[in-house]
Amino acid sequence: MPAHIPVHRRALLVPLAVAIVAGTACVWAVAEAPVEGRTLMAWSLGTAAVLLCAAITFGLYGRQQTQQLRDRLQAMDADVAQLADQTLPALVKRLRDGASVDTALAEVHRPADLAQQRILWTLAQEVGRGDRMRAAAMSACANAAGRVQALATSMLADLREMEDRHDEKVLGDLLRLDHSTAQAGRLADSIAVLTGARSGRRWTKPIVMESIMRGAVGRISAYQRVRVHSASTVAIAGHAAEGVMHALAELMDNATSFSPPSEEVHVYVEEVSTGVVITIEDCGLVMSAVALSRARQAVSSEPLDLTTLSGTRLGLAVVGCLARKHDLTVSFRPSSRGGTGVVVMIPQKLVTQPPPLPAPDPPRPPSVPAARRAPSTAVAAPAPAERVADGDLPRRRRGQTLAAATSTTAAAEPKPPARDRPKPSLSDAGARFSAFRQASRGTGGGATPADTPDVSAEDDTL
Amino acid sequence: MISRRVASENPDRLYTVTGGRSHTDESSMDMVTLIVSECDPTPGMQSEHVKILQMCRQPMAVVEVSSELKLPISVVRILLCDLLDTGRITARHPPKAPAKAQLPNPEILEQVLVGLQNL
Repeated sequence: MPAHIPVHRRALLVPLAVAIVAGTACVWAVAEAPVEGRTLMAWSLGTAAVLLCAAITFGLYGRQQTQQLRDRLQAMDADVAQLADQTLPALVKRLRDGASVDTALAEVHRPADLAQQRILWTLAQEVGRGDRMRAAAMSACANAAGRVQALATSMLADLREMEDRHDEKVLGDLLRLDHSTAQAGRLADSIAVLTGARSGRRWTKPIVMESIMRGAVGRISAYQRVRVHSASTVAIAGHAAEGVMHALAELMDNATSFSPPSEEVHVYVEEVSTGVVITIEDCGLVMSAVALSRARQAVSSEPLDLTTLSGTRLGLAVVGCLARKHDLTVSFRPSSRGGTGVVVMIPQKLVTQPPPLPAPDPPRPPSVPAARRAPSTAVAAPAPAERVADGDLPRRRRGQTLAAATSTTAAAEPKPPARDRPKPSLSDAGARFSAFRQASRGTGGGATPADTPDVSAEDDTL
Repeated sequence: MISRRVASENPDRLYTVTGGRSHTDESSMDMVTLIVSECDPTPGMQSEHVKILQMCRQPMAVVEVSSELKLPISVVRILLCDLLDTGRITARHPPKAPAKAQLPNPEILEQVLVGLQNL
Protein backbone atom coordinates (compact mmCIF):
# COMPACT_ATOMS: atom_id res chain seq x y z
CA MET A 1 0.00 0.00 0.00
CA PRO A 2 1.27 3.46 -0.75
CA ALA A 3 2.89 4.98 2.20
CA HIS A 4 1.44 8.44 1.79
CA ILE A 5 -2.14 7.37 2.36
CA PRO A 6 -3.13 8.19 5.93
CA VAL A 7 -3.79 5.39 8.31
CA HIS A 8 -7.49 5.90 8.78
CA ARG A 9 -8.07 5.99 5.02
CA ARG A 10 -5.92 2.96 4.64
CA ALA A 11 -8.14 1.26 7.16
CA LEU A 12 -11.15 2.07 4.99
CA LEU A 13 -9.42 1.20 1.77
CA VAL A 14 -8.77 -2.42 2.54
CA PRO A 15 -12.36 -3.40 3.48
CA LEU A 16 -13.58 -1.46 0.46
CA ALA A 17 -11.29 -3.38 -1.87
CA VAL A 18 -12.28 -6.63 -0.26
CA ALA A 19 -15.94 -5.72 -0.61
CA ILE A 20 -15.50 -4.87 -4.32
CA VAL A 21 -13.55 -8.04 -5.02
CA ALA A 22 -15.96 -10.19 -3.04
CA GLY A 23 -18.98 -8.47 -4.63
CA THR A 24 -17.56 -8.94 -8.13
CA ALA A 25 -16.76 -12.58 -7.36
CA CYS A 26 -20.29 -13.10 -6.06
CA VAL A 27 -21.92 -11.49 -9.08
CA TRP A 28 -19.75 -13.50 -11.42
CA ALA A 29 -20.40 -16.77 -9.54
CA VAL A 30 -24.13 -16.09 -9.43
CA ALA A 31 -24.16 -15.28 -13.15
CA GLU A 32 -22.34 -18.50 -13.98
CA ALA A 33 -24.49 -20.66 -11.76
CA PRO A 34 -27.58 -22.54 -13.08
CA VAL A 35 -30.75 -20.52 -12.77
CA GLU A 36 -32.59 -22.77 -10.30
CA GLY A 37 -29.98 -22.45 -7.57
CA ARG A 38 -29.22 -18.84 -8.23
CA THR A 39 -31.28 -17.30 -5.43
CA LEU A 40 -29.91 -19.61 -2.79
CA MET A 41 -26.40 -19.16 -4.06
CA ALA A 42 -26.72 -15.41 -4.21
CA TRP A 43 -27.84 -15.33 -0.60
CA SER A 44 -25.17 -17.60 0.69
CA LEU A 45 -22.37 -16.00 -1.30
CA GLY A 46 -23.59 -12.57 -0.31
CA THR A 47 -23.65 -13.52 3.34
CA ALA A 48 -20.19 -15.06 3.05
CA ALA A 49 -18.85 -11.95 1.33
CA VAL A 50 -20.33 -9.67 4.00
CA LEU A 51 -18.90 -11.89 6.75
CA LEU A 52 -15.52 -11.89 5.05
CA CYS A 53 -15.58 -8.12 4.74
CA ALA A 54 -16.59 -7.76 8.37
CA ALA A 55 -13.90 -10.17 9.54
CA ILE A 56 -11.22 -8.43 7.56
CA THR A 57 -12.38 -5.03 8.74
CA PHE A 58 -12.35 -6.12 12.40
CA GLY A 59 -9.02 -7.81 11.97
CA LEU A 60 -7.49 -4.71 10.51
CA TYR A 61 -9.06 -2.51 13.14
CA GLY A 62 -7.76 -4.71 15.89
CA ARG A 63 -4.30 -4.70 14.45
CA GLN A 64 -4.31 -0.98 14.20
CA GLN A 65 -5.45 -0.64 17.80
CA THR A 66 -2.68 -2.94 18.93
CA GLN A 67 -0.16 -0.87 17.09
CA GLN A 68 -1.45 2.31 18.62
CA LEU A 69 -1.36 0.83 22.11
CA ARG A 70 2.12 -0.45 21.57
CA ASP A 71 3.29 2.97 20.47
CA ARG A 72 1.71 4.59 23.48
CA LEU A 73 3.25 2.04 25.76
CA GLN A 74 6.67 2.73 24.29
CA ALA A 75 6.19 6.42 24.74
CA MET A 76 5.16 5.90 28.33
CA ASP A 77 8.12 3.65 28.95
CA ALA A 78 10.40 6.34 27.65
CA ASP A 79 8.68 8.91 29.85
CA VAL A 80 9.01 6.77 32.94
CA ALA A 81 12.63 6.05 32.12
CA GLN A 82 13.30 9.75 31.82
CA LEU A 83 11.51 10.37 35.09
CA ALA A 84 13.53 7.73 36.85
CA ASP A 85 16.91 8.42 35.26
CA GLN A 86 16.96 12.17 34.88
CA THR A 87 14.10 14.05 36.43
CA LEU A 88 14.07 12.43 39.86
CA PRO A 89 17.84 12.47 40.42
CA ALA A 90 17.94 16.10 39.32
CA LEU A 91 15.07 16.91 41.65
CA VAL A 92 16.65 15.15 44.62
CA LYS A 93 19.96 16.83 43.92
CA ARG A 94 18.36 20.26 43.85
CA LEU A 95 16.56 19.52 47.10
CA ARG A 96 19.74 18.26 48.75
CA ASP A 97 21.52 21.38 47.61
CA GLY A 98 19.08 23.33 49.65
CA ALA A 99 16.47 24.46 47.14
CA SER A 100 12.90 24.63 48.31
CA VAL A 101 10.37 22.13 47.03
CA ASP A 102 8.71 24.60 44.67
CA THR A 103 11.97 25.89 43.25
CA ALA A 104 13.24 22.40 42.67
CA LEU A 105 10.00 21.35 40.99
CA ALA A 106 10.07 24.39 38.74
CA GLU A 107 13.61 23.71 37.65
CA VAL A 108 13.29 20.09 36.60
CA HIS A 109 11.63 18.81 33.42
CA ARG A 110 7.96 18.34 34.12
CA PRO A 111 6.49 15.10 32.70
CA ALA A 112 3.37 15.36 30.55
CA ASP A 113 1.63 12.57 32.35
CA LEU A 114 -0.49 13.73 35.26
CA ALA A 115 0.18 10.63 37.32
CA GLN A 116 3.88 11.15 36.87
CA GLN A 117 3.53 14.74 37.91
CA ARG A 118 1.82 13.59 41.07
CA ILE A 119 4.61 11.12 41.74
CA LEU A 120 7.15 13.87 41.28
CA TRP A 121 5.32 16.23 43.57
CA THR A 122 4.82 13.67 46.32
CA LEU A 123 8.43 12.67 46.16
CA ALA A 124 9.63 16.24 46.25
CA GLN A 125 7.48 16.89 49.30
CA GLU A 126 8.80 13.84 51.12
CA VAL A 127 12.43 14.44 50.29
CA GLY A 128 12.07 18.09 51.22
CA ARG A 129 10.51 17.19 54.55
CA GLY A 130 13.19 14.60 55.24
CA ASP A 131 15.86 17.16 54.53
CA ARG A 132 14.25 19.73 56.74
CA MET A 133 14.00 17.20 59.53
CA ARG A 134 17.64 16.28 59.14
CA ALA A 135 18.69 19.90 59.14
CA ALA A 136 16.59 20.64 62.20
CA ALA A 137 17.96 17.64 64.07
CA MET A 138 21.50 18.56 63.12
CA SER A 139 21.16 22.14 64.22
CA ALA A 140 19.54 21.07 67.50
CA CYS A 141 22.42 18.70 68.15
CA ALA A 142 24.98 21.30 67.16
CA ASN A 143 23.36 23.85 69.40
CA ALA A 144 23.20 21.50 72.36
CA ALA A 145 26.78 20.41 71.79
CA GLY A 146 27.89 24.02 71.66
CA ARG A 147 26.24 24.75 74.97
CA VAL A 148 27.77 21.71 76.60
CA GLN A 149 31.13 22.75 75.19
CA ALA A 150 30.80 26.20 76.68
CA LEU A 151 29.73 24.73 80.01
CA ALA A 152 32.60 22.29 80.03
CA THR A 153 35.09 24.99 79.18
CA SER A 154 33.96 27.26 81.98
CA MET A 155 33.75 24.34 84.38
CA LEU A 156 37.30 23.38 83.55
CA ALA A 157 38.42 26.94 84.18
CA ASP A 158 36.53 27.00 87.47
CA LEU A 159 38.02 23.69 88.50
CA ARG A 160 41.49 24.89 87.67
CA GLU A 161 40.96 27.89 89.87
CA MET A 162 39.67 25.71 92.70
CA GLU A 163 42.65 23.43 92.33
CA ASP A 164 44.83 26.44 92.97
CA ARG A 165 42.82 27.46 95.97
CA HIS A 166 42.36 24.20 97.83
CA ASP A 167 44.95 22.00 99.41
CA GLU A 168 45.66 18.40 98.67
CA LYS A 169 42.82 17.04 100.75
CA VAL A 170 40.38 18.30 98.15
CA LEU A 171 42.77 18.24 95.22
CA GLY A 172 42.26 14.56 94.46
CA ASP A 173 38.51 14.99 94.20
CA LEU A 174 38.89 18.10 92.11
CA LEU A 175 41.23 16.31 89.75
CA ARG A 176 38.71 13.52 89.32
CA LEU A 177 35.98 16.03 88.52
CA ASP A 178 38.36 17.79 86.19
CA HIS A 179 38.99 14.55 84.36
CA SER A 180 35.30 13.75 84.02
CA THR A 181 34.57 17.23 82.78
CA ALA A 182 37.32 17.00 80.21
CA GLN A 183 35.83 13.75 78.91
CA ALA A 184 32.35 15.25 78.78
CA GLY A 185 33.83 18.14 76.87
CA ARG A 186 35.38 15.76 74.38
CA LEU A 187 32.05 14.07 73.82
CA ALA A 188 30.42 17.42 73.16
CA ASP A 189 33.28 18.30 70.84
CA SER A 190 32.73 15.07 68.94
CA ILE A 191 29.07 15.81 68.40
CA ALA A 192 29.90 19.35 67.39
CA VAL A 193 32.40 18.08 64.85
CA LEU A 194 29.98 15.54 63.38
CA THR A 195 27.18 18.06 63.14
CA GLY A 196 29.48 20.51 61.45
CA ALA A 197 29.43 23.08 64.23
CA ARG A 198 32.57 24.90 65.26
CA SER A 199 34.89 22.67 67.16
CA GLY A 200 35.61 23.29 70.80
CA ARG A 201 37.54 26.26 71.84
CA ARG A 202 40.03 28.27 69.92
CA TRP A 203 43.45 28.88 71.38
CA THR A 204 44.84 32.30 70.80
CA LYS A 205 48.46 31.24 71.05
CA PRO A 206 50.49 28.39 69.61
CA ILE A 207 50.37 25.35 71.86
CA VAL A 208 53.60 23.47 72.48
CA MET A 209 53.71 19.80 71.64
CA GLU A 210 53.89 18.74 75.28
CA SER A 211 50.67 20.58 76.03
CA ILE A 212 49.06 19.16 72.91
CA MET A 213 49.85 15.67 74.08
CA ARG A 214 48.66 16.41 77.59
CA GLY A 215 45.51 17.99 76.28
CA ALA A 216 44.85 14.89 74.22
CA VAL A 217 45.75 12.42 76.95
CA GLY A 218 43.70 14.29 79.53
CA ARG A 219 40.51 13.76 77.60
CA ILE A 220 40.45 9.99 77.62
CA SER A 221 39.41 7.82 80.49
CA ALA A 222 42.48 5.59 80.68
CA TYR A 223 44.97 8.41 80.47
CA GLN A 224 47.31 6.79 82.95
CA ARG A 225 48.00 3.99 80.49
CA VAL A 226 49.33 6.31 77.83
CA ARG A 227 53.08 6.83 77.71
CA VAL A 228 54.19 9.78 75.66
CA HIS A 229 57.73 9.76 74.29
CA SER A 230 58.45 13.20 73.01
CA ALA A 231 61.40 15.49 72.91
CA SER A 232 59.74 17.77 70.44
CA THR A 233 59.79 21.47 71.14
CA VAL A 234 57.66 22.74 68.30
CA ALA A 235 54.17 24.13 68.74
CA ILE A 236 50.93 23.76 66.86
CA ALA A 237 49.20 26.86 65.55
CA GLY A 238 46.44 27.98 67.87
CA HIS A 239 43.59 27.64 65.40
CA ALA A 240 44.37 23.98 64.76
CA ALA A 241 45.54 23.00 68.23
CA GLU A 242 42.12 22.03 69.50
CA GLY A 243 41.37 19.91 66.45
CA VAL A 244 44.71 18.13 66.63
CA MET A 245 44.24 17.44 70.33
CA HIS A 246 40.77 16.13 69.77
CA ALA A 247 41.79 13.86 66.92
CA LEU A 248 44.70 12.49 68.93
CA ALA A 249 42.42 11.99 71.93
CA GLU A 250 39.98 9.95 69.85
CA LEU A 251 42.78 7.80 68.46
CA MET A 252 44.29 7.29 71.90
CA ASP A 253 40.88 6.43 73.27
CA ASN A 254 40.53 3.78 70.57
CA ALA A 255 43.97 2.47 71.36
CA THR A 256 43.32 2.22 75.09
CA SER A 257 39.87 0.73 74.75
CA PHE A 258 40.93 -1.93 72.24
CA SER A 259 43.93 -3.12 74.17
CA PRO A 260 44.02 -5.08 77.42
CA PRO A 261 43.74 -2.87 80.52
CA SER A 262 47.11 -4.07 81.70
CA GLU A 263 48.93 -2.89 78.60
CA GLU A 264 50.24 0.56 77.97
CA VAL A 265 49.73 2.62 74.84
CA HIS A 266 52.86 4.28 73.57
CA VAL A 267 52.83 7.56 71.72
CA TYR A 268 55.88 8.75 69.84
CA VAL A 269 56.34 12.26 68.56
CA GLU A 270 58.81 12.83 65.79
CA GLU A 271 59.67 15.98 63.88
CA VAL A 272 60.20 15.45 60.17
CA SER A 273 60.78 17.89 57.35
CA THR A 274 57.16 17.79 56.27
CA GLY A 275 55.72 18.33 59.71
CA VAL A 276 55.28 16.29 62.84
CA VAL A 277 54.57 12.58 62.89
CA ILE A 278 52.76 11.13 65.86
CA THR A 279 52.59 7.38 66.20
CA ILE A 280 50.14 5.75 68.56
CA GLU A 281 50.87 2.10 69.15
CA ASP A 282 48.93 -0.35 71.23
CA CYS A 283 49.48 -3.99 72.03
CA GLY A 284 45.88 -4.96 71.64
CA LEU A 285 44.07 -6.88 69.01
CA VAL A 286 45.21 -6.62 65.44
CA MET A 287 42.44 -5.08 63.41
CA SER A 288 40.78 -7.39 60.94
CA ALA A 289 41.02 -6.58 57.25
CA VAL A 290 37.40 -5.42 57.24
CA ALA A 291 37.84 -3.24 60.30
CA LEU A 292 41.04 -1.84 58.86
CA SER A 293 39.43 -0.91 55.57
CA ARG A 294 36.49 0.61 57.40
CA ALA A 295 38.87 2.64 59.53
CA ARG A 296 40.79 3.78 56.49
CA GLN A 297 37.57 4.73 54.80
CA ALA A 298 36.47 6.72 57.86
CA VAL A 299 39.62 8.80 57.95
CA SER A 300 39.99 9.11 54.19
CA SER A 301 39.47 12.34 52.34
CA GLU A 302 35.91 11.54 51.34
CA PRO A 303 33.33 13.73 52.99
CA LEU A 304 31.49 12.30 55.94
CA ASP A 305 28.43 10.27 55.13
CA LEU A 306 26.22 10.31 58.20
CA THR A 307 24.53 7.10 57.13
CA THR A 308 27.73 5.18 57.75
CA LEU A 309 27.80 6.20 61.41
CA SER A 310 27.24 3.18 63.55
CA GLY A 311 25.84 5.11 66.49
CA THR A 312 28.21 3.73 69.07
CA ARG A 313 31.56 4.22 67.38
CA LEU A 314 31.91 7.83 66.48
CA GLY A 315 35.62 8.20 67.12
CA LEU A 316 37.02 7.46 63.71
CA ALA A 317 34.34 9.50 61.96
CA VAL A 318 35.34 12.42 64.17
CA VAL A 319 38.99 11.85 63.38
CA GLY A 320 38.09 11.80 59.69
CA CYS A 321 36.26 15.13 59.93
CA LEU A 322 39.12 16.73 61.82
CA ALA A 323 41.70 15.28 59.46
CA ARG A 324 39.87 16.74 56.49
CA LYS A 325 39.53 20.07 58.22
CA HIS A 326 43.18 20.42 59.19
CA ASP A 327 44.79 18.36 56.41
CA LEU A 328 46.05 15.73 58.80
CA THR A 329 47.02 12.41 57.30
CA VAL A 330 45.96 9.40 59.32
CA SER A 331 47.08 5.92 58.42
CA PHE A 332 46.81 2.54 60.09
CA ARG A 333 49.29 -0.26 60.13
CA PRO A 334 50.03 -3.29 62.23
CA SER A 335 52.09 -2.27 65.20
CA SER A 336 55.45 -3.71 65.99
CA ARG A 337 54.16 -4.13 69.51
CA GLY A 338 51.56 -6.58 68.36
CA GLY A 339 48.49 -4.42 68.03
CA THR A 340 47.59 -1.60 65.73
CA GLY A 341 49.65 1.47 65.03
CA VAL A 342 48.13 4.75 63.95
CA VAL A 343 50.35 7.31 62.29
CA VAL A 344 49.15 10.89 62.30
CA MET A 345 50.98 13.37 60.16
CA ILE A 346 50.56 17.02 61.09
CA PRO A 347 51.47 19.16 58.08
CA GLN A 348 54.20 21.74 58.30
CA LYS A 349 51.78 24.61 57.84
CA LEU A 350 50.25 23.91 61.26
CA VAL A 351 53.62 23.66 62.97
CA THR A 352 55.16 26.79 64.44
CA GLN A 353 57.70 27.63 67.03
CA PRO A 354 56.42 27.98 70.58
CA PRO A 355 55.82 31.46 71.95
CA PRO A 356 58.83 32.73 73.90
CA LEU A 357 58.69 31.62 77.48
CA PRO A 358 58.41 34.32 80.15
CA ALA A 359 62.07 33.69 80.93
CA PRO A 360 62.14 31.43 83.95
CA ASP A 361 65.89 31.77 84.29
CA PRO A 362 66.60 35.51 84.59
CA PRO A 363 64.69 36.18 87.82
CA ARG A 364 67.04 34.01 89.76
CA PRO A 365 69.79 36.42 90.75
CA PRO A 366 67.48 39.06 92.24
CA SER A 367 65.21 36.48 93.78
CA VAL A 368 67.91 34.70 95.69
CA PRO A 369 68.15 37.17 98.51
CA ALA A 370 64.40 37.47 98.49
CA ALA A 371 64.03 33.75 98.75
CA ARG A 372 66.33 33.68 101.67
CA ARG A 373 64.70 36.51 103.39
CA ALA A 374 61.16 35.36 103.64
CA PRO A 375 59.07 32.28 103.08
CA SER A 376 56.31 34.54 101.85
CA THR A 377 54.69 33.82 98.51
CA ALA A 378 54.34 37.47 97.73
CA VAL A 379 58.02 38.06 97.36
CA ALA A 380 58.40 35.30 94.87
CA ALA A 381 55.69 36.67 92.66
CA PRO A 382 57.43 39.80 91.37
CA ALA A 383 60.43 37.84 90.25
CA PRO A 384 59.34 36.96 86.71
CA ALA A 385 58.23 40.48 85.93
CA GLU A 386 61.35 42.01 87.25
CA ARG A 387 63.47 41.19 84.27
CA VAL A 388 60.77 41.96 81.74
CA ALA A 389 60.34 45.47 82.98
CA ASP A 390 63.88 46.43 82.81
CA GLY A 391 65.58 49.37 84.53
CA ASP A 392 63.37 52.39 84.82
CA LEU A 393 60.03 50.76 85.35
CA PRO A 394 60.31 49.43 88.87
CA ARG A 395 56.82 50.61 89.72
CA ARG A 396 55.19 48.54 87.04
CA ARG A 397 56.66 45.51 88.69
CA ARG A 398 55.15 46.51 91.97
CA GLY A 399 51.70 46.90 90.47
CA GLN A 400 51.98 43.48 88.94
CA THR A 401 52.96 41.99 92.19
CA LEU A 402 49.89 43.47 93.74
CA ALA A 403 47.64 41.97 91.16
CA ALA A 404 49.36 38.64 91.20
CA ALA A 405 49.40 38.43 94.94
CA THR A 406 45.65 38.80 95.27
CA SER A 407 45.35 35.11 94.58
CA THR A 408 48.12 34.00 96.86
CA THR A 409 47.74 33.31 100.51
CA ALA A 410 50.19 35.70 102.10
CA ALA A 411 50.29 39.30 101.09
CA ALA A 412 53.38 41.37 101.38
CA GLU A 413 53.56 44.26 103.68
CA PRO A 414 52.81 47.21 101.34
CA LYS A 415 49.86 45.49 99.78
CA PRO A 416 47.11 45.39 102.35
CA PRO A 417 46.54 49.14 102.40
CA ALA A 418 46.51 49.22 98.61
CA ARG A 419 44.00 46.44 98.48
CA ASP A 420 41.94 47.73 101.32
CA ARG A 421 41.36 51.07 99.75
CA PRO A 422 39.19 50.01 96.84
CA LYS A 423 37.35 47.44 98.90
CA PRO A 424 35.29 49.60 101.25
CA SER A 425 34.42 51.83 98.34
CA LEU A 426 33.04 49.14 96.09
CA SER A 427 29.79 50.96 95.63
CA ASP A 428 31.45 54.26 95.05
CA ALA A 429 32.32 54.83 91.41
CA GLY A 430 34.56 57.75 92.20
CA ALA A 431 36.62 55.81 94.66
CA ARG A 432 36.89 52.98 92.22
CA PHE A 433 38.15 55.32 89.60
CA SER A 434 40.74 56.68 91.94
CA ALA A 435 41.80 53.15 92.70
CA PHE A 436 42.10 52.53 89.00
CA ARG A 437 44.10 55.68 88.56
CA GLN A 438 46.37 54.77 91.36
CA ALA A 439 46.91 51.34 89.91
CA SER A 440 47.84 52.79 86.56
CA ARG A 441 50.07 55.38 88.19
CA GLY A 442 51.83 52.56 89.93
CA THR A 443 52.55 50.91 86.62
CA GLY A 444 54.07 54.06 85.23
CA GLY A 445 52.42 53.54 81.87
CA GLY A 446 49.36 52.07 80.27
CA ALA A 447 47.53 49.57 82.40
CA THR A 448 49.26 46.24 82.33
CA PRO A 449 47.29 43.10 81.76
CA ALA A 450 47.80 42.36 85.40
CA ASP A 451 46.21 45.59 86.52
CA THR A 452 43.19 45.56 84.35
CA PRO A 453 41.77 42.35 85.77
CA ASP A 454 41.88 43.76 89.25
CA VAL A 455 39.58 46.58 88.36
CA SER A 456 37.27 44.60 86.19
CA ALA A 457 37.04 41.95 88.84
CA GLU A 458 35.51 44.53 91.09
CA ASP A 459 33.15 45.47 88.32
CA ASP A 460 32.01 41.92 88.16
CA THR A 461 31.24 41.73 91.78
CA LEU A 462 28.92 44.69 91.66
CA MET B 1 35.55 36.97 84.65
CA ILE B 2 35.22 33.48 83.33
CA SER B 3 36.30 34.54 79.89
CA ARG B 4 39.48 36.00 81.27
CA ARG B 5 40.32 32.82 83.11
CA VAL B 6 39.55 30.77 80.04
CA ALA B 7 41.72 32.98 77.88
CA SER B 8 44.75 32.63 80.09
CA GLU B 9 44.42 28.87 80.34
CA ASN B 10 46.42 26.25 78.59
CA PRO B 11 45.38 22.72 77.71
CA ASP B 12 47.40 20.99 80.42
CA ARG B 13 45.12 19.57 83.05
CA LEU B 14 46.78 19.12 86.40
CA TYR B 15 46.13 15.39 86.51
CA THR B 16 48.12 15.00 83.32
CA VAL B 17 50.97 16.95 84.88
CA THR B 18 51.08 14.66 87.89
CA GLY B 19 50.10 11.50 86.07
CA GLY B 20 46.91 11.24 88.11
CA ARG B 21 48.45 11.57 91.53
CA SER B 22 46.97 14.09 93.87
CA HIS B 23 49.17 13.73 96.92
CA THR B 24 52.54 12.48 97.90
CA ASP B 25 53.65 10.43 100.84
CA GLU B 26 56.72 12.52 101.21
CA SER B 27 56.10 14.44 104.40
CA SER B 28 59.49 15.97 104.83
CA MET B 29 58.86 18.66 102.27
CA ASP B 30 56.92 21.66 103.42
CA MET B 31 56.32 25.08 101.97
CA VAL B 32 59.64 26.54 102.94
CA THR B 33 61.89 23.62 102.20
CA LEU B 34 64.73 24.83 100.01
CA ILE B 35 65.27 22.98 96.77
CA VAL B 36 68.59 22.80 94.95
CA SER B 37 69.01 21.12 91.61
CA GLU B 38 71.78 18.61 91.34
CA CYS B 39 71.94 18.22 87.59
CA ASP B 40 70.97 19.88 84.35
CA PRO B 41 67.74 19.06 82.59
CA THR B 42 67.93 16.37 79.94
CA PRO B 43 65.92 16.36 76.72
CA GLY B 44 62.62 14.56 76.93
CA MET B 45 61.98 15.60 80.49
CA GLN B 46 58.65 16.97 81.53
CA SER B 47 58.73 20.73 81.03
CA GLU B 48 57.93 21.40 84.69
CA HIS B 49 60.90 19.32 85.75
CA VAL B 50 63.09 21.24 83.34
CA LYS B 51 61.86 24.52 84.74
CA ILE B 52 62.38 23.37 88.30
CA LEU B 53 65.92 22.24 87.58
CA GLN B 54 66.67 25.56 85.91
CA MET B 55 65.11 27.62 88.64
CA CYS B 56 66.69 25.77 91.50
CA ARG B 57 70.30 26.16 90.51
CA GLN B 58 70.20 28.53 93.44
CA PRO B 59 68.26 27.30 96.45
CA MET B 60 64.62 28.13 96.16
CA ALA B 61 61.70 27.51 98.49
CA VAL B 62 58.95 25.13 97.49
CA VAL B 63 56.44 27.90 97.70
CA GLU B 64 58.46 30.01 95.30
CA VAL B 65 58.74 27.18 92.84
CA SER B 66 54.99 26.84 93.04
CA SER B 67 54.50 30.50 92.35
CA GLU B 68 56.93 30.50 89.44
CA LEU B 69 55.32 27.50 87.82
CA LYS B 70 51.84 28.86 88.60
CA LEU B 71 50.90 25.46 89.93
CA PRO B 72 49.32 24.52 93.26
CA ILE B 73 51.74 23.61 96.03
CA SER B 74 50.47 20.04 96.25
CA VAL B 75 51.17 19.51 92.56
CA VAL B 76 54.60 21.05 92.85
CA ARG B 77 55.37 18.80 95.79
CA ILE B 78 54.52 15.77 93.68
CA LEU B 79 56.80 16.99 90.92
CA LEU B 80 59.57 17.74 93.40
CA CYS B 81 59.22 14.32 95.00
CA ASP B 82 59.70 12.74 91.57
CA LEU B 83 62.90 14.67 91.14
CA LEU B 84 63.97 13.95 94.69
CA ASP B 85 63.44 10.23 94.22
CA THR B 86 65.65 10.22 91.16
CA GLY B 87 68.28 12.28 92.94
CA ARG B 88 68.07 15.22 90.59
CA ILE B 89 67.39 17.69 93.37
CA THR B 90 68.11 17.86 97.02
CA ALA B 91 65.79 19.30 99.61
CA ARG B 92 67.15 21.29 102.43
CA HIS B 93 65.28 22.64 105.36
CA PRO B 94 65.85 26.27 106.17
CA PRO B 95 67.93 26.92 109.20
CA LYS B 96 65.89 25.76 112.08
CA ALA B 97 64.21 28.34 114.13
CA PRO B 98 66.01 28.83 117.40
CA ALA B 99 65.28 26.05 119.79
CA LYS B 100 62.37 26.50 122.08
CA ALA B 101 64.62 27.13 125.04
CA GLN B 102 65.98 30.21 123.37
CA LEU B 103 62.62 31.75 122.75
CA PRO B 104 61.56 34.37 125.24
CA ASN B 105 59.22 33.16 127.86
CA PRO B 106 55.59 33.33 126.70
CA GLU B 107 54.67 35.12 129.85
CA ILE B 108 57.12 37.88 129.13
CA LEU B 109 55.76 38.13 125.65
CA GLU B 110 52.27 38.42 127.02
CA GLN B 111 53.38 41.15 129.34
CA VAL B 112 54.98 42.98 126.47
CA LEU B 113 51.75 42.67 124.52
CA VAL B 114 49.71 44.02 127.37
CA GLY B 115 52.18 46.81 127.77
CA LEU B 116 51.95 47.68 124.13
CA GLN B 117 48.19 47.68 124.26
CA ASN B 118 48.28 49.98 127.25
CA LEU B 119 50.37 52.52 125.42
